[in-house]
Amino acid sequence: MIDIQGLTYTYPASETPALNGIDLTVPEGQLCAVIGANGAGKSTLCYAIAGFVPHFYNGTLTGRVTVAGRDVVATPLAELAGEIGLVFANPFNQITGARFTVREEVAFGLENLGVPRDDMLARVDAALALVGLAGLGDRSPYALSGGQQQRVALASVIVMRPRVLVLDEPTSQLDPVGTREVFETLAGLAQAGGTTVVLVEHKPEWIAVHADRVVVLSAGRVVLDGPPAEVLAAPELSGYGLAPTRYTQAARLAVGRGLAPGDRPLPVTLEQAAPFFTDRVSP
Amino acid sequence: MNIIVSALSFTYPSGVEALHGVNLAIAAGEAVAILGENGAGKTTLVKHFNGLLRPTRGTVAVGGWDTREHSVAQMAARAGYVFQNPDDQLFERTVQAEVMFGPHNLGRTAAEAGAAAADALAQVGLAAQSGANPYDLHLSERKLLALAAVLAMHTPVVVLDEPTTGQDARGVARISGIVEALKAEGRTVIAISHDVDFCAEHFDRVVLMAGGLILADGPAADVFARADDLRRADVEPPQLVRLASALGLLGAPLRTEQFVDLLAQARL
Amino acid sequence: MSAFSLYVDRNSGLNRLNPLTMLALIGFCLVAGLALPGAWAPYAVFLLAILPLAAGGRVLRPFLSAALKIVLPFAVSVTLIQGLFWTGGTPIVHLGPLSLKREGLIFAAQSTGRILAVLGSFLLLALTTRTDALMIALAQHGAPKSLTYIVLATLQIAPRFQAKANTILDAQRARGLEVEGGIGRRVRALIPLTIPLVLGSIVDIEERAIALEARAFSRSGPKTSLLVLRDSHMQRIGRWVLVGGMIAAVILGIVLRR
Ligand SMILES: Nc1ncnc2c1ncn2[C@@H]1O[C@H](COP(=O)(O)OP(=O)(O)OP(=O)(O)O)[C@@H](O)[C@H]1O
Ligand SMILES: Nc1ncnc2c1ncn2[C@@H]1O[C@H](COP(=O)(O)OP(=O)(O)O)[C@@H](O)[C@H]1O
Ligand SMILES: [Mg+2]
Ligand SMILES: [Mg+2]
Repeated sequence: MIDIQGLTYTYPASETPALNGIDLTVPEGQLCAVIGANGAGKSTLCYAIAGFVPHFYNGTLTGRVTVAGRDVVATPLAELAGEIGLVFANPFNQITGARFTVREEVAFGLENLGVPRDDMLARVDAALALVGLAGLGDRSPYALSGGQQQRVALASVIVMRPRVLVLDEPTSQLDPVGTREVFETLAGLAQAGGTTVVLVEHKPEWIAVHADRVVVLSAGRVVLDGPPAEVLAAPELSGYGLAPTRYTQAARLAVGRGLAPGDRPLPVTLEQAAPFFTDRVSP
Repeated sequence: MNIIVSALSFTYPSGVEALHGVNLAIAAGEAVAILGENGAGKTTLVKHFNGLLRPTRGTVAVGGWDTREHSVAQMAARAGYVFQNPDDQLFERTVQAEVMFGPHNLGRTAAEAGAAAADALAQVGLAAQSGANPYDLHLSERKLLALAAVLAMHTPVVVLDEPTTGQDARGVARISGIVEALKAEGRTVIAISHDVDFCAEHFDRVVLMAGGLILADGPAADVFARADDLRRADVEPPQLVRLASALGLLGAPLRTEQFVDLLAQARL
Repeated sequence: MSAFSLYVDRNSGLNRLNPLTMLALIGFCLVAGLALPGAWAPYAVFLLAILPLAAGGRVLRPFLSAALKIVLPFAVSVTLIQGLFWTGGTPIVHLGPLSLKREGLIFAAQSTGRILAVLGSFLLLALTTRTDALMIALAQHGAPKSLTYIVLATLQIAPRFQAKANTILDAQRARGLEVEGGIGRRVRALIPLTIPLVLGSIVDIEERAIALEARAFSRSGPKTSLLVLRDSHMQRIGRWVLVGGMIAAVILGIVLRR
């Protein structure tokens, strides 16, 4: 669904490339998590998949980005929006201001896609319920708390039902239950709905549970790529400015103190951690 | 410096009642984490500490100063607030000017302000960018700059609104170090955060909020063990607490070492 | 007030009008106020049309407070400057060594009247008409997207500036800048505000362009809307009558000025 070949991109006014020789193929229906230190190129990768790089940011791009069979560089942004949904990292500036209420703000994308009004009402209310904003549809989108604004941004993109969903730190302001629910929703969209999801996040404990695959970026390159259990327990992780889950940290410490056997893969989820610690070290 | 909130209610001009009679007393030198669902009223509550919001009903006093009787600028010398959205806080043309703004207003000399700014920028790791325009920094860096701008004011109370959002592991470690340093200096540190693991590791006291009210308030280990209250506030227990309870260990370990100690004890 | 609109929902007759009818009404007030000759024409339009409409739309109080805040300082300064320094005019009031000239005062009255009519018209539109409804109405009648965007952005300039100014003032107060108290303090606080205000607004515009783009705003093809706009045969006729009125006012202006 997403096919990136030899992608190198440099922002205008910048000397070093933000993305440096990226090869990445994401099949339809996969939930692919992208992690990396600040400045690693995660946001830039999101922009490149959705076409904002190079259409909005200009700069120099080499290589190929194909999404849903379209050459992203050759296709105008206006045609990509709707097919590829992008949730930006900053939750505070994604409100268009073109509509007065939360419900209308969420409907805005559907209006532009020409969705009939009856469908629109049902889809908008479903999206609001999905992100936990059911009671706030008539509020002004500006008179909201930070987390509520982030939920509006998320609903506004999910409601368009893009085949490819790219999300840049979509849970940064969400409460813990909200975060879990967003991960569950995204996993559901990928599994049942066949949506291809690229998710940039800093929260390893939820990535471990829900991602099909984890890609680690460092200085614009893909440095690790594999199933969460492998990537998130990799000893190199800290070298890329990342921390594993507390489960992995505790397991590593316990192994160091001889409280758990060192010959098994370290747990990355609660589910894996429980048996890891109950199986004793044979004396 | 202490903070006393009594029967505080607040209604936004649009008519949304965000706080319904909150009572809270924070002693000088305490480290308090405020957690709770989105829209619980956390930001609304802490914006009362420097008078940016004034009570609709009830009172807020910081070090004995009632916020209704002092200007925001006066309160700001006592309670420094780092905004949830850094773009609501930053307005200067350079990083350096941004960090000097607070100390300058508090009457520090140019030399003092310069030293405080250099110190604060070093603490957040932005020393090399002091000539940059804040708009050219990344969101995560702007968040750190907003923090530095408040640190440089050396206020007895420091309020952080979701300090770790958007930070990578290194950024979180940096902020953790700053919180620990503030605690060691005996300053009052209050942080709003959804990062339960960060709160468990660095804050002694946890306040849970939901629907404009305080649901629970107490030592971190106690509050994080109260599953029902956590659920009502849409907060998940920290990973180590979940793990300990899945293993049937007694107690709520807050740090990895504590968990491993608990495990070792259980094995004896 | 919301952060991006002056609109106040009063469920009034004007609130219920189709935005295009409101636009025609405002257009008529503007054209009549500017095209008709004589210093008093804009005042007449203001008093006989704009003010009663504001009252009928139940927005008289915010209307007057905003209009006075802008027009009063303008009127005072233009009266003093033009009245005192009009070269070669007829003095009518003597103030020590200075005197107010008749021609200068007439000029001041004329320009104040024009400002009053123009500002009053726009304020009335902004207070009674939802910008998004206006955008939708224009789009439904085939206006290009760039035009609807410009209308939206223009009507949002003032409220956005105001919201941004408040944000920056809060940021400055929270870091110890004293802005409460007398007028002097407030004015001094405004000076360090202007540059961040302008820069912030530029960033704001770029960010919103990205947000709009991400929601397929510039996509071609038919659009739909959640908001249902009311319209009626009567209103359509009314709009044509108002357009006729505008043309008549222009012709009358030309004829009378001869
Ligand atoms: N400017 C505003 N105008 C009107 N209502 C507001 C405004 N800001 C927040 N609210 C409302 O007040 C309530 C409390 O909001 P507040 O920002 O204090 O929440 P919070 O606990 O900080 O949430 P979050 O974790 O999402 O930041 C919410 O219902 C919110 O929608
Ligand atoms: N608009 C921009 N102009 C110039 N350089 C940029 C811009 N945005 C990002 N960069 C640079 O590109 C690199 C990758 O940044 P980004 O994709 O934002 O990383 P991440 O999202 O992983 O934090 C960084 O070195 C950053 O400085
Ligand atoms: Mg990023
Ligand atoms: Mg908040």
